[in-house]
Amino acid sequence: MTGVAVGAVGLDSALADPVVLAGFVDALAEFLRPRNLASVFVDGLAKAALYVMIAGGLTLIFGLMGVLNFAHGSMTMIGAYLGGLLMVLAVGQATGDAARLALFFVALAVTFAALAGLGGAIEIGLVRRLYDRPPVYQILLTFGVTLVLDELVRIVVLFYGMQPTSDWQAALATKPGVLDSSVDLGLVSVPGLDLFEIAIGALTVAGLWAFLTKTRYGLMIRAGSEDAEMTEALGIDVRRVFTVVFALGAGVAGVAGTLLMWDGSWAASVPLAADTLLPAFVVVIIGGLGTFRGTVVAALIVGMADAVTTWWFVNEIEFSGLPEITIFLILVVMLILRPQGLFGVEEVGGH
Amino acid sequence: MTLLEVEDAHTYYGESHILEGVSLEVEEGEVVALVGRNGVGKTTTLRTVLQLTPPRRGTVRLRGEDVTGRETHEIADRGVGWIPEERRIFAQLSVEENVRVAVPDGRAVGAALDRAFETFPDLRDHRSRDAGTLSGGQQQMLALARGLVGDNDLLLVDEPSEGLAPLIVERVAEALADAAEDTTLLLVEQNLPLALDLADRFYVIDNGSVVDEGDAAETSADDERLRRYLSA
Repeated sequence: MTGVAVGAVGLDSALADPVVLAGFVDALAEFLRPRNLASVFVDGLAKAALYVMIAGGLTLIFGLMGVLNFAHGSMTMIGAYLGGLLMVLAVGQATGDAARLALFFVALAVTFAALAGLGGAIEIGLVRRLYDRPPVYQILLTFGVTLVLDELVRIVVLFYGMQPTSDWQAALATKPGVLDSSVDLGLVSVPGLDLFEIAIGALTVAGLWAFLTKTRYGLMIRAGSEDAEMTEALGIDVRRVFTVVFALGAGVAGVAGTLLMWDGSWAASVPLAADTLLPAFVVVIIGGLGTFRGTVVAALIVGMADAVTTWWFVNEIEFSGLPEITIFLILVVMLILRPQGLFGVEEVGGH
Repeated sequence: MTLLEVEDAHTYYGESHILEGVSLEVEEGEVVALVGRNGVGKTTTLRTVLQLTPPRRGTVRLRGEDVTGRETHEIADRGVGWIPEERRIFAQLSVEENVRVAVPDGRAVGAALDRAFETFPDLRDHRSRDAGTLSGGQQQMLALARGLVGDNDLLLVDEPSEGLAPLIVERVAEALADAAEDTTLLLVEQNLPLALDLADRFYVIDNGSVVDEGDAAETSADDERLRRYLSA
């Protein structure tokens, strides 16, 4: 055994054992080599980009309306299937890399529009009736929506002879070769897909940030998040703003799903709904419920922590499956130290 | 024409009956004060006008049009502005954004900002600061500025002098007197001399209904009629 074993042995006795300690020092030296640090950093950025896209819509919706949208993961999952479907239909064997990338952006736009439409319909048809009720009603409602949506997708997927629980390989196969190859950045070479995910994540953050801070609609959203009643009294139809934000949040979730469809560690499948919902909640809570800036910072923290622990557990410690626990550890520590989150203000979203 | 009529409004918070039949009228161009002890329904009267807490029984009319049960933003669109108790400025928006958000769609934002900053030069110096970092007096100025740029015909002003130093109260009073020159005001104010100074008329509210009314110019702050309802 070459790595550090932290198993049944307690950490204290493990550290006291000189052999284990030497192994740890070796591993630390390996981790701290610039090449490894740089590749962990890029991996962390790519993970952060995915987390911010998964959680961004959720935080917008919670910030304005105080609604914890349990259907958010299902929006991401539907986005993955819808984006995948468009790509599978449009891409053939002969389609070149450039054309595949161009088609991908068309698919992003279409899934954004479709999911925004679905989100708007859910808000007007269902969620709107429950704003005056305690939050548990909205949680139950959106949880019910999730069950219905997931089941519908499962039926459709089965109907076309695919396995709902396994990754959709045909959609993965539409990924252009350039994203599968490594890109040399001098110090390290990193997966092309990582750089692509970082770029899309940065564009999404920049787009949402510009919308929130530079447009009149964004101003209304921020005012409404802070004090919906006062905003209404200034002549702004806050209910219409609610609909737009719910649609926007669902659209962003759809875009995230389309991006995940190309990522082998996520990919389009029905369980993607639950797999994305949990980290989304964690990121939103760490950042502070309802603050967009907090969500961006939290996504970076969680992405980096995830990348660091992934490196350790892949390279040095023989205990697979632990990286997922890391983000929940961060959540627990955050809830103990600062329950309102990094940028949270007490009572945000309550009205 | 009568700008605002409230007729026999009964308003509840949940099951507690707060307004037990409030009736009042405000004419175009007037300044009308609502006076009375804490908790008798003055703020609720303003919230009833705005339909934030719509009356279960009774009617609110703006220029003769029955607006009972309408959405609050529709009331605001009809030219009713609210300068609420505790100001309720948007603490996380900048001072300028607080003013911007109050400018109705389709109105020139630049002109509105100029107007706000001319009236309250203090705010111009702090225009890019988060409004939550302003002092209490500055926050009250901002709340007033938000009411002024809203293109309002009727301003509902709730406790504008509450918690402010005497010097600031004077400036707020001046700003309200200026605003009153081209806007109608319905004013809730604990500071009786200030209320009587600004107002043309007043209504006394006690236990959820109007118990007296009078002409402000003919009434002094220690009038027996008022003291009966105001002393604790």
